[in-house]
Amino acid sequence: MTTTAHATTVIDSAPLSLRELARAVGAEDQWVLQLVAVEILHVEAPEQPPERWQFRSVDLQRALAARRLQRDFDANLETAALILDLQGELRRVRAVLAAHGIG
Amino acid sequence: MDFKDYYSALGVARDASDDDIRKAYRKLARKYHPDVSKEPDAQTRMRDINEAKDVLGDKEKRAAYDQLADRVARGGNPDGGFAPPPGWDEGFEFHRGPNAGPADHADFSDFFSSIFGNAARAGGGGGARGPYREKGEDHHAAIEIALEDALNGAERQISLRAQVLGEDGRPRLETRTLDVKIPPGVRPGQFIRLAGQGLPGHGGEPAGDLYLEVRIAPHRLYRVEGHDLYMTLPVTPTEAALGAQVTVPTPGGGQVDVSVPKGARGGMKLRLKERGLPGKPPGNLYLLIEIALPPADSDAVRAAYEQLAKATPFNPRKDLVS
Repeated sequence: MTTTAHATTVIDSAPLSLRELARAVGAEDQWVLQLVAVEILHVEAPEQPPERWQFRSVDLQRALAARRLQRDFDANLETAALILDLQGELRRVRAVLAAHGIG
Repeated sequence: MDFKDYYSALGVARDASDDDIRKAYRKLARKYHPDVSKEPDAQTRMRDINEAKDVLGDKEKRAAYDQLADRVARGGNPDGGFAPPPGWDEGFEFHRGPNAGPADHADFSDFFSSIFGNAARAGGGGGARGPYREKGEDHHAAIEIALEDALNGAERQISLRAQVLGEDGRPRLETRTLDVKIPPGVRPGQFIRLAGQGLPGHGGEPAGDLYLEVRIAPHRLYRVEGHDLYMTLPVTPTEAALGAQVTVPTPGGGQVDVSVPKGARGGMKLRLKERGLPGKPPGNLYLLIEIALPPADSDAVRAAYEQLAKATPFNPRKDLVS
């Protein structure tokens, strides 16, 4: 057993580049560009060249989920985008219900 | 460690086709998906079927697993447990396909790790590919912390098990313990990145990174929603009707006096600005009013309730009948 101490980074204070996000989900850069095109990922400054785009935790979460939907269900990216939006809506509604002591 | 029957996990026969396996997986994945499943063990079952599909859905892994299952069937471990026999994987090389997705096996069982661990690049026959240079793959795991750790920051140890190649060329399981610094204000769903703690690189290239997804353990009083916190605040009917000053605990460990407004109703939300998780901006603490009735367990209380009923014509059902 080995013990190692490490400096850590929360992605939101040190965003990922497009290349880093692609590596983190085991995909090619081109795949991340497709996620942006179908609006699974939203970039703050789309007019900037892709190498200057920045991605945060929520983007990594959505990219991982899209990758799994594609891998496990052969979902195309438009379908994955819809499922992710519906999942997000489901969580939002559940949070509202919980905030009102329901559910 | 027990031998895992991946065919049973998916409910398919040993000679199931790739299509059968895919269909069985999809059916079970819909049933046990944590977002929709009402099954109490949904998370465990989802992990099991993901693990089974990862192996049976991959021709190389499935062939190796079948061979291992045959060897186990011919003569199990005398102590009843399971350990992969030396050299069981000779002749197999496990590749990650183009659609394999992230190396997200961190939640899989010890059984899986003992067989397939980090074997993606560890199998024999690497020479056929020729020398290559590539940064190691990024890896994913989750870390569950207490709410207090998210508020104040903390240092936590996590143990990760992975298969590495020993000096004798045989794979063995290695447990690594990492000290992880949790920054204050971290929220559920955020990722902490540990540079260089993913899979080893090749040809002198650096190792990949490890991404830890933050989860916050359920708390006795507070529920986390983004960077806001929610707490149920029980008040008496008297406090709700007439208004009151009540003392409530704050997440940092202190207390604060809160004014319950006159005429407060159940479900009403009171906001304590910037008393949630730290950050820029900090989250809020929301108090969800819940009216708690004093039990009518003495003559004096019963008399007080009757007097209240006489004192007011209040009828909560007046809108039910026209």
